[in-house]
Amino acid sequence: MASEASNKPRQTPVKIVVAGGFGVGKTTFVGAISEIEPLRSEALITQASAGVDELFENGSKTTTTVAMDFGRISLKDGLVLYLFGTPGQDRFHFMWHELAKGAIGAVVLVDTRRLDACFAAVDFFEQRDTPFMVVVNTFDGRLNHSLEDVREALNVSPEVPMAYCDARVRVDVQSTLYQLVEYALLRALQGIPVS
Amino acid sequence: MARHSSEGRLVRPYTMTGGRTGQDVPAIALESLISATEEGRATKHQFRWEASRVIEYAGQGTALIELAALIDVPIGVIRVVVADLAQRGAVEIVDSVGGMSTDLDAVAYTDLLKKVLDGIRSL
Repeated sequence: MASEASNKPRQTPVKIVVAGGFGVGKTTFVGAISEIEPLRSEALITQASAGVDELFENGSKTTTTVAMDFGRISLKDGLVLYLFGTPGQDRFHFMWHELAKGAIGAVVLVDTRRLDACFAAVDFFEQRDTPFMVVVNTFDGRLNHSLEDVREALNVSPEVPMAYCDARVRVDVQSTLYQLVEYALLRALQGIPVS
Repeated sequence: MARHSSEGRLVRPYTMTGGRTGQDVPAIALESLISATEEGRATKHQFRWEASRVIEYAGQGTALIELAALIDVPIGVIRVVVADLAQRGAVEIVDSVGGMSTDLDAVAYTDLLKKVLDGIRSL
């Protein structure tokens, strides 16, 4: 990489996607560890189109905006880790491709009271072969379900890491991100291609 | 001409891009880091409002999506503006690993992940 070829310290961006149903705590998760207040950015999309950011490709189409929340963490060695929350509403799922492209991996946040809200995210990352882990947000403080119960309910493979996390607690989020990157590294070492 | 005030943006987004749609612009990843070059900083005032704001905010490296949020314009618009500035040498783009992943060899990628792991551990 260019950053290693030159002596001048250069920043290298990397990203992790935080997915899950609407209101499951994605922005809380991002905000717990981000060095900036999570920012919101908007993309204009055409209602009928599957293309993101192709502004007004046809002037007659109706456009709408989709908001993405994100945060930033500066790591050592000039690495800058961006955390992207996926837009929660189902109609914006097509945006996930752009978010997932080149991501180290994805955290799928789960509220056990609304397990079905994360099905779309699990399906998406499985099909795309993006390293992902399932994280049960314990913001209500109750651990009503064992992780293995959740794994079974979601029908995810045994190798997919599962964890509890209080999305409000920085150290929980840190540990979750660590586990995800560790899993991504394991897969990379096994020769599974980068998505 | 783009004029800005506390009441918000007074032009429609496609006016800022000169009517361009972004289809002729190379894809710049959301997390790609944009930094202003010396030349860009020196010539900042010759650019339109949104372009000069990009140079101002870009500094040593600011992600595309962050520029969009800070300047409060849609990502697609910022992408067009950044691509133009890059073509004129006013900004540099450090692509994300994602943009390079196809030609990034496996060893370089695992090394990168190890650094990220170490970085998260040391937070």
